[in-house]
Amino acid sequence: TPCAGAVTALCARRYAVEDVPFSVPAASETADLSHLINKLLAAGDADHKYVEFDFLINGQFLRMPLVTHMEMENISTEEVVEIEYVEKYMAPQPEECIFHDDWISSVEATEEWILTGCYDQTARIWSLEGKSIMTIAGHTEVVKDVAWVKQDSLSCLLLSASMDQTILLWEWNVEKNKVKALHCCRGHAGSVDSIAVDCTRTKFCSGSWDKMLKIWSAVPTDEEDEMEEAANRPRKKQKTEQLGLTRTPLATLSGHTEAVSSVLWSDAEEICSASWDHTIKLWDAETGDLKSTLTGNKVFNSVSYSPLCRRLASGSTDRHIRLWDPRSKDGSLVLLSLTSHTGWVTSVKWSPTHEHQLISGSLDNIVKLWDTRSCKAPLYDLAAHEDKVLCVDWTEAGLLLSGGADNKLYCYRYPATASDVGA
Amino acid sequence: LQDIRNTVGNIPMEWYQDFPHIGYNLEGKKIYKPIRNKDELDMFLEKMENPDYWRTVQDKMTGADIKLTDEQVDLVHRLQKGQFGDVHFNPYEPAVDFFTHEVMIHPVTNRPADKRSFIPSLIEKEKVSKLVHAIKMGWIKPRKPKDDTPTYYDLWAHEDPNSILGRHKMHVPAPKMKLPGHEEAGAAAPRHPGVRPALPTPVPSIPQKLAWEQQEPAERKLNFVPQQYRCLRAVPAYSRFIHERFERCLDLYLCPRQRKMRVNVDPEDLIPKLPKPRDLQPFPTTQALVYRGHTSLVRCLSISPSGQWLASGKDLLPRRSDDCTVRFWEVCTARCMKTVPVGGVVKSIAWNPNPTICLVAICVEQSVLLVNPCLGDKLLCGATDQLLESYVAPEEERVQPVQWVTATVEEHSKGIRLVVQHSKAVKQVTWHGKGDYFASVVSDNSNMQVLIHQTSKRWSQNPFRKSKGLVQCVLFHPIRPYFFVATQRYVRIYNLLKQELTKKLMTNCKWVSSMAIHPGGDNIICGSYDSKLAWFDLDLSTRPYQLLRHHKKALRSVAFHKHYPLFASGSDDGTVIVCHGMVYNDLLQNPLLVPVKVLKGHVMTLDLGVLDVLFHPTQPWVFSSGADGTVRLYT
Repeated sequence: TPCAGAVTALCARRYAVEDVPFSVPAASETADLSHLINKLLAAGDADHKYVEFDFLINGQFLRMPLVTHMEMENISTEEVVEIEYVEKYMAPQPEECIFHDDWISSVEATEEWILTGCYDQTARIWSLEGKSIMTIAGHTEVVKDVAWVKQDSLSCLLLSASMDQTILLWEWNVEKNKVKALHCCRGHAGSVDSIAVDCTRTKFCSGSWDKMLKIWSAVPTDEEDEMEEAANRPRKKQKTEQLGLTRTPLATLSGHTEAVSSVLWSDAEEICSASWDHTIKLWDAETGDLKSTLTGNKVFNSVSYSPLCRRLASGSTDRHIRLWDPRSKDGSLVLLSLTSHTGWVTSVKWSPTHEHQLISGSLDNIVKLWDTRSCKAPLYDLAAHEDKVLCVDWTEAGLLLSGGADNKLYCYRYPATASDVGA
Repeated sequence: LQDIRNTVGNIPMEWYQDFPHIGYNLEGKKIYKPIRNKDELDMFLEKMENPDYWRTVQDKMTGADIKLTDEQVDLVHRLQKGQFGDVHFNPYEPAVDFFTHEVMIHPVTNRPADKRSFIPSLIEKEKVSKLVHAIKMGWIKPRKPKDDTPTYYDLWAHEDPNSILGRHKMHVPAPKMKLPGHEEAGAAAPRHPGVRPALPTPVPSIPQKLAWEQQEPAERKLNFVPQQYRCLRAVPAYSRFIHERFERCLDLYLCPRQRKMRVNVDPEDLIPKLPKPRDLQPFPTTQALVYRGHTSLVRCLSISPSGQWLASGKDLLPRRSDDCTVRFWEVCTARCMKTVPVGGVVKSIAWNPNPTICLVAICVEQSVLLVNPCLGDKLLCGATDQLLESYVAPEEERVQPVQWVTATVEEHSKGIRLVVQHSKAVKQVTWHGKGDYFASVVSDNSNMQVLIHQTSKRWSQNPFRKSKGLVQCVLFHPIRPYFFVATQRYVRIYNLLKQELTKKLMTNCKWVSSMAIHPGGDNIICGSYDSKLAWFDLDLSTRPYQLLRHHKKALRSVAFHKHYPLFASGSDDGTVIVCHGMVYNDLLQNPLLVPVKVLKGHVMTLDLGVLDVLFHPTQPWVFSSGADGTVRLYT
């Protein structure tokens, strides 16, 4: 049975067709619709090249025959249905595979360099081409998280958090390619699992297994903070061996009842933390007050915030990625669940440029690229890893990074990341 | 004849019984009763002698005797015969017809007809007018035409055609007779050469025939001897046919048949109503992580009190000597953080439950190693070392059942701090909740099987004077000073303060393998090698509250969760069964046990499946270690 469909272009001006209702066969799939549009475009423009399109009905990607989709969404085939189309996202192109000596626990990339934290107690800096530039050794335990603080052409500031309960603030002289530990942030009583730098690049927050969040200054100074030592603790040689000057936290946020697995700054003055106690808590960074709590029913491994769509995405110890509205007052409403992984979701990251897209890494060795408008199936599966995926990142330049327990860091180029809203 | 008419009238003459007179005559004089002075004898004599006695009657009115005359006697006789009293009366005189059937020419009477015969009757007119008036007023209905339809009715109209009535309701069909078979058909008749015989020869041999003859007719399997015939045409008519029909009829008639009343119960109703597993979430459902690294079966598991680290020990003598290790894993990533070579078979491992002490007790061969894994908070690890080093030996040497040895420098670098050397192989170690005392079980038959050690004082003692059987495992009560000792069939509970036996639990199992206690302290579970799991409610009874037989093979390990109402059992069949075990604070409500999930994943190796199960201290996750050399986490 044919069904009427008004095909409207949302994609770009150059792919616009006339806004006339078409009768489309009900059994047609994305490819058929794509052919139709291309024919229309070719009729209007002689030197049109074939472009593949993706189609949206009421904000949901069309992933099956039209009639099946409409049955599932309870849309009548008698009425005129608006089908939007966008240029099909190109598959991410694999670029580099960077070999490490041990499991990769964390990754953060900028326009020029990639910083990874590794289970061999080092943090490493790589160029985008996969060339090893620097190995930062100093921790006595596994490096759990890394972060860039500041970069300029001469020197960079970066952070590494480790299971040895410290966070080190490093200064990397790019020209001389020398690295120096400026500060050793001490105060946590457990492995520091997550760090996040605020948008002013002067503060950072850390979450630890000891259930605490601590806020530290990220500005290098020449002074050393006094550390009050427990009376019974012997003054060990550890003190003399320590790298950099001791730094103590500016503030401590306590409230979680289990280990904190992930922290981020969702705003200039707002910290969001995910924990093993099945909650995501939002804190006021200035006052240290707890603003609100989102309660789930599984341990949270990772959380990510997109300022574009103002949603939190969380990965937990089940198969689902859940989207939350951090501003909702009732607290525990999951907006959307993205389900396709078969193992724990260890890491999620929103696209910095696209309001609908995110990537996720999981213990099932697969990195998935999602569009929230297609919640039943991901856009692409990046199945390169041979072992658990532990970390993912997405840079503004459109680079997807994932590292895992197979000691490899995979980089993908994903060009079509411009948000298509309003185009 | 004197007229002695009595004037009393027709009254019962008995009224005058007591008077001398009998009434009054016409003049009003009393009539006296005749004098009767005859006695019985005189009466008899008179009866015998007086020839007229039979015709003498007594006049009741006067009391006088009257002798009946011949005419009177005749009259009596005639009346007795039913004849008329008058001899001359003829009742059957010929009748004379007054009106004859012949029409006469003259009227019988000469009377002229009345006037009223010629005028309409006034009375009739009144009656007719009354009727007419009544009909007009509708008081009288004119006669209806007669209904000709027959007046029979349906006797069974009000009966339900589907219901079965009385006798038919109780109808029991006659038992079916066996259909005739090959024996009756002269089974052994030679068949067509191409056809395979359906039966081996059913014709009995001679001893079989003799045996048949000796049997009681009721006991015979067949009531005739099968015979062989040349062909089917030669089979004669069955001679006992009528006889057997008759016996069958007798059977049906005389033998009471009864309908067997089967209780029609839906088997589903007999299953106790348990809540659905999905209402009992959270509980582990899927395998999340596999901890690979061990080369052969992983005998034991232990988890740090914070839930960040997992320790596993390997059993079975290794092929390479450097392979005897205890591994420490990061729980959330399955990363092996540390490998401590211990140089022997590890039978049991126990992490100190005190969160301020970082110490693991490991059973290796004949000794218990106290290992500081240096994982977690550096301060705590340092404090633990300090605590162990702060020991000051007592001045006089005490006799101890074991030897406490400080680790060598080389061992110290591996993390080993103290070695408690036993005389025999140690098979289990368990900590007291406070983390200072621990108990070890030695494979031995003597009273030295169970030893309790104090870490801070490096002091060991043997709590039992006598051996009560082969001790399988021991356990400290989480709150109270009780000590549980499981032998092969019993669990004994000792009070450590009073130093006496408090209770003895009968497990109803052949061989107890493992034991775990509910964090509340009032319930324990025992797994046994005969694939049973016994749940004891200590307040209820010394016998199992429930005996669960979910596993197909021997249970190796049982575990309780610290916070969630969950318990798990691992078995040789390669599965872990997680059950919901809710203990209520209300003493009247019995624990609710619901099996919720069977977790599979371990590969069977050497006929062994799961060797140890362990719950995460804070999350509803369960670890299992298997003979395939892996540790698995289910969430």
